Amino acid sequence: MSEIIEKRIGRYETLLKEMWAASSKYLGTFSVNLLVERVVWEVSLEYKEIELLQYDQNGISCAKMAAKLEENPDLPVEDMFIKFITRYVEILARLLGHERAEEIKKKLDEEFAGDPAASREE
Amino acid sequence: MHTNLLLSVPVRYWQDFQDTLARATNANIYIFDANGAPFSRFSLPAELCQEVNKGRELRNEKCIDFYRLACGSLEEKDMLTCPYGLKLCAYRLGSYAQRIGYLMVAPSRHTTLVEREEEIAFITKAHNVYRTINEVFSAILEKNLLGLRRLELNSIYEISRLMTSIVELDRVLELITNSLIIIYQADLCFVGLREGGKIRVAQGKGVHGSQLIGKEWPLVHPLVERIFSKVEPSSLSIEELKVLPGFTGTEAAPGTEIMVYPLWTALGIVGLLGIAAPASLGDNGSKNLQIYINFAAVALANATLIRRLEREAETDYLTGFLNKRVLRDVLAAELQRAARYGYHLSVIFLDIDDFKAYNDTFGHLAGDVVLQKTAELIKNSIRTTDIACRYGGEEFIIILPGTKGGDAAKVAERIRKSVEVYPFPHRRITASLGVAQAKKNDSVDSLLARADQACYQAKERGKNHLYLDPS
Repeated sequence: MSEIIEKRIGRYETLLKEMWAASSKYLGTFSVNLLVERVVWEVSLEYKEIELLQYDQNGISCAKMAAKLEENPDLPVEDMFIKFITRYVEILARLLGHERAEEIKKKLDEEFAGDPAASREE
Repeated sequence: MHTNLLLSVPVRYWQDFQDTLARATNANIYIFDANGAPFSRFSLPAELCQEVNKGRELRNEKCIDFYRLACGSLEEKDMLTCPYGLKLCAYRLGSYAQRIGYLMVAPSRHTTLVEREEEIAFITKAHNVYRTINEVFSAILEKNLLGLRRLELNSIYEISRLMTSIVELDRVLELITNSLIIIYQADLCFVGLREGGKIRVAQGKGVHGSQLIGKEWPLVHPLVERIFSKVEPSSLSIEELKVLPGFTGTEAAPGTEIMVYPLWTALGIVGLLGIAAPASLGDNGSKNLQIYINFAAVALANATLIRRLEREAETDYLTGFLNKRVLRDVLAAELQRAARYGYHLSVIFLDIDDFKAYNDTFGHLAGDVVLQKTAELIKNSIRTTDIACRYGGEEFIIILPGTKGGDAAKVAERIRKSVEVYPFPHRRITASLGVAQAKKNDSVDSLLARADQACYQAKERGKNHLYLDPS
């Protein structure tokens, strides 16, 4: 895999993994996977490629998406991931209350300080 | 449901299709969403449009206002003239029940369509464009809705499988509310469980959900009676629900409806489940949700029953205190906690004096009254964080977390006095109490043995005494 693609996907994969781990602490893995499935479906109406996201009881992975990006570097991964993360956090706030969702968001902001995509506000 | 689902089409793909259609029919095509906001860019734009909007996107204020007003007032189809004199055929996309958006078709050249034949030819062309686009959008909408229903069914299948393997009530409640909020994108979901003659809200998620937890609604409340008067769900507005504790002062968007499902099983009322009405549930969606609710009712009934059995197995029937079986586990956990966090822990051992004689003289029923009343006096003398257990016939143990032996002795003295002065039937009743403070490396047995020994010392001192273990 080229270094550029690895870098493009890698930062989102790390962010998704952090989100998955932080929310499963409060919701349990079943609910988190249900949430991921719901958001994947919703985003897939616009970006079919999001269906390449792999997730199960052990976590989340972007390996298949990285391979696809190798074939087609024009994939709008940034827009797709931002849409995914925005919807994910919106639903998470309903489940955990804004206080805990903010806690998770703050933690992610700290982890990804300087990454404009990670801290983008809607 | 996401509000954009009706037009959840990748615009970049749609634009190619729209542009091709515009070229093939040699007509300008403009599409707006259900709110009258532009969906795609102009296809084959008229020079005039390009000029006033500085490109293929709608930017001109006059145009924006015109199209928004036109979309808002359009019934089915109409012939319009834009502020710059361009004649347009306007169509509403979707069905009467479900408005997807709006389509505007204009001639490729700027014309006033003065010639009747020219106008008829253009209207026919515009109508063909409309039929094509409406068919495509309807197919996409159908596909999107089918996808959503499939997702709902898959989720319900997975959850129903999981619910049959979970018996802990808290986990069942969490699973039900979480999954409904996720699947239906509901703003609010709550579950109330029947406790005797009332419904107690056991879980609430979403906007204002946490405000509802713990609130109690009597079964005889007219609104609750109305909910349980039928098997189908009741669709209630926030205004209607405001008569119930927890909803008072709740603000919600106008028109917000809460679907409240009565939860029934063969054994009777289990509780109720409320969910902010999903936007586009439809007939199939409602059936899917009802299937889910039926599963939820059974899972809740099972979990409630198991919890009740567990509680009954832990509780002394006569006094409502924990029984001897559970005491050891509770005391072991408290000893561990005290050791880990370094706080004090004391135990009081209470024995009612000459209880056997009282029982033999006045009968077992009278003896039961003494036990019940003594338990009540103990309960009134301790904190809610203290734990009282019935240890044996007339013996009680009180665990006092975070309490030194001296302070526990004061509590014991309070209990002793309240028993001594209480006007029991037939004759005065007294109790002897032994107090022991937990030491480092104390086990359940060693601590109880010292408290028992202290109680024995209290008896030795003539009964109706308390004795603090000095070790």
